[in-house]
Amino acid sequence: MQSVVERVLNLLIYLLESPTPVTADDIRHTVQGYGDQSDEAFHRMFERDKDVLRRLGVPLKRQPLDVWEVDYGYTVDPDEYAVEDPGLTQEERVALSVAARMVRLGGSHIGLDALLKLGGVERGVGLEPIGADLGATATDLGDLFTAVTERRLVEFGYRGQARRLRPYGIAHRRGHWYVVGETGHGERVYRIDRIEDLEVSEERGSFDKPRGFDVRGVLDSLPWESGGGERVEARVRFDPDVAWWAARTLGMPEPEGELVTVLPVVNTDAFIGWVLSFGDSAEILEPETMRREVLRRVEAAMAVP
Amino acid sequence: MTSSRTVSRLSRILALIPYVLERDSVEMGEVLERFGYTPEQLSRDLDTVFVCGLPGYGPGELMEAYLDEDVVVIDAADYFTRAPRLTPTEALGLLAAGMTVIDMGEGNPALQSAVGKLSKVLVPGAGPVLSVDVLDENEHVRRLKEAAAASRVVRIVYRSVGREQTTERDVEPWIVFHTLGTWYVVGHCRLVGGERTFRVDRIKESEMLDEVFRRPSRVPVPGIGYTPSEGDISCVIDLDAEAMWVPEYYPVEILERRQSGARVRFWAPDPEVAARLLLRLGSAGRLVEGPEVAGRLRELGSSLLALYS
Repeated sequence: MQSVVERVLNLLIYLLESPTPVTADDIRHTVQGYGDQSDEAFHRMFERDKDVLRRLGVPLKRQPLDVWEVDYGYTVDPDEYAVEDPGLTQEERVALSVAARMVRLGGSHIGLDALLKLGGVERGVGLEPIGADLGATATDLGDLFTAVTERRLVEFGYRGQARRLRPYGIAHRRGHWYVVGETGHGERVYRIDRIEDLEVSEERGSFDKPRGFDVRGVLDSLPWESGGGERVEARVRFDPDVAWWAARTLGMPEPEGELVTVLPVVNTDAFIGWVLSFGDSAEILEPETMRREVLRRVEAAMAVP
Repeated sequence: MTSSRTVSRLSRILALIPYVLERDSVEMGEVLERFGYTPEQLSRDLDTVFVCGLPGYGPGELMEAYLDEDVVVIDAADYFTRAPRLTPTEALGLLAAGMTVIDMGEGNPALQSAVGKLSKVLVPGAGPVLSVDVLDENEHVRRLKEAAAASRVVRIVYRSVGREQTTERDVEPWIVFHTLGTWYVVGHCRLVGGERTFRVDRIKESEMLDEVFRRPSRVPVPGIGYTPSEGDISCVIDLDAEAMWVPEYYPVEILERRQSGARVRFWAPDPEVAARLLLRLGSAGRLVEGPEVAGRLRELGSSLLALYS
């Protein structure tokens, strides 16, 4: 690891200081650390080092060196390399440091890494009795964030189908991350941890967001209220011992005894799943088709030895 | 494969150099605290910087980096006057951290203006593209936060996860925590005489008592995970492709991955939890092993069949 760290530092310095793009061959014979490797070993090392640079946030570019595009060289623009100064006051830096300590993303304090680049973490007064973790699969989340901010098209697989999307925004809701965008058949919401084989197009600024778009407005609040299905109304009853708890999820006032209510349902599967999570303390009363669906599901679960 | 340790180490070095270059004199203690270094790590990174530089790699081409008494010295590194830009994940992570704290109702005006400035730089002209909603706080969350901050005992009426019972208990709240869409409180439960984690949405009533408790000096870091404890039941379930959301929500051990789906071991404090899950899954999940769960599944299933037939 020691040699990798030194070699990547030397490589980065060479790239930042070279006024014109440099070829892989230049790098191999100039930068300390590549030494007398075989062609194959050098290429392996070089690929790995380029990957490290990208993961550090270094904007490494590959450019043709002549009009025939025969030779390619690498370059890092010092202006693009440097982090932009947000001009934070001392008080703002402290507030951000406290927030970054309280909030984790998929278990890691990613906000603290960001703060190092902005001049380090400030000592903050303890807010330890409170914290949060926004569960996440970091790679796709970062790529989608880039696509949103640079207005680049994305393609991915979702539940076995290929999708193409103009990504308008990203939101965290109830423990999961979602991307919201236009498919050409209306605005849709996708759960980011269910996205497969994400491809972000190279071209920036390839669409305009609708005026006044606000990611918060698009997400429905309950899982069975969105999806591709038809909207039906379901009447459901909760026993007194769970009624207060169901009412809380639904954002209703907590009842004294049992709760009987009518709810709009788009995703029947999700709705039945939620009702069954109350065991036999809840019952869907209407429609009859949904009751039969519950029976089928219970029978299927019991059919197995 | 390059380890993320290499990347983290380089990232910290590239942040440290401009910080020191920009200032006349930087005390070692300040660097240790600000960049999260131990003295050994700092010396090692300074030694690394000291042997790197421009091609030629002679004394005139290398950077200078060393400790002079307790002062950190870095020089001849003009190409590193600025730290590298944030990666998209770092930018999102920092913005989301700020927005989360604001959404939890813990933000002050400085945090709001900081998030505003960061958005301008990181998401120029993009408008409201990022939103964090950590679920509404109810009166119990507010009361628990207040009690945790003041080290006051709370009395709660709690409906256990899985067990069909509601109990009243006195709890010493250590930390109130939000994860995966749910608020939790971790603390000492006097009813069971040990550390427990409670889901705040299962708290039916709460009351802050006058009694003050002593916070332990080390409060455990709450994680998403669930550690099986003595007395928990375990069972083995085969999951089809449609049921592969289960490992995202429940603490399972994946015993075997299949072309589509998996065989998992599932733990719960009570067979009820597993039985309800199997009912939800219908034909997409099959119980392979677990007699207590099979028994509870039969009972619960029969009672549901009676309800719906």
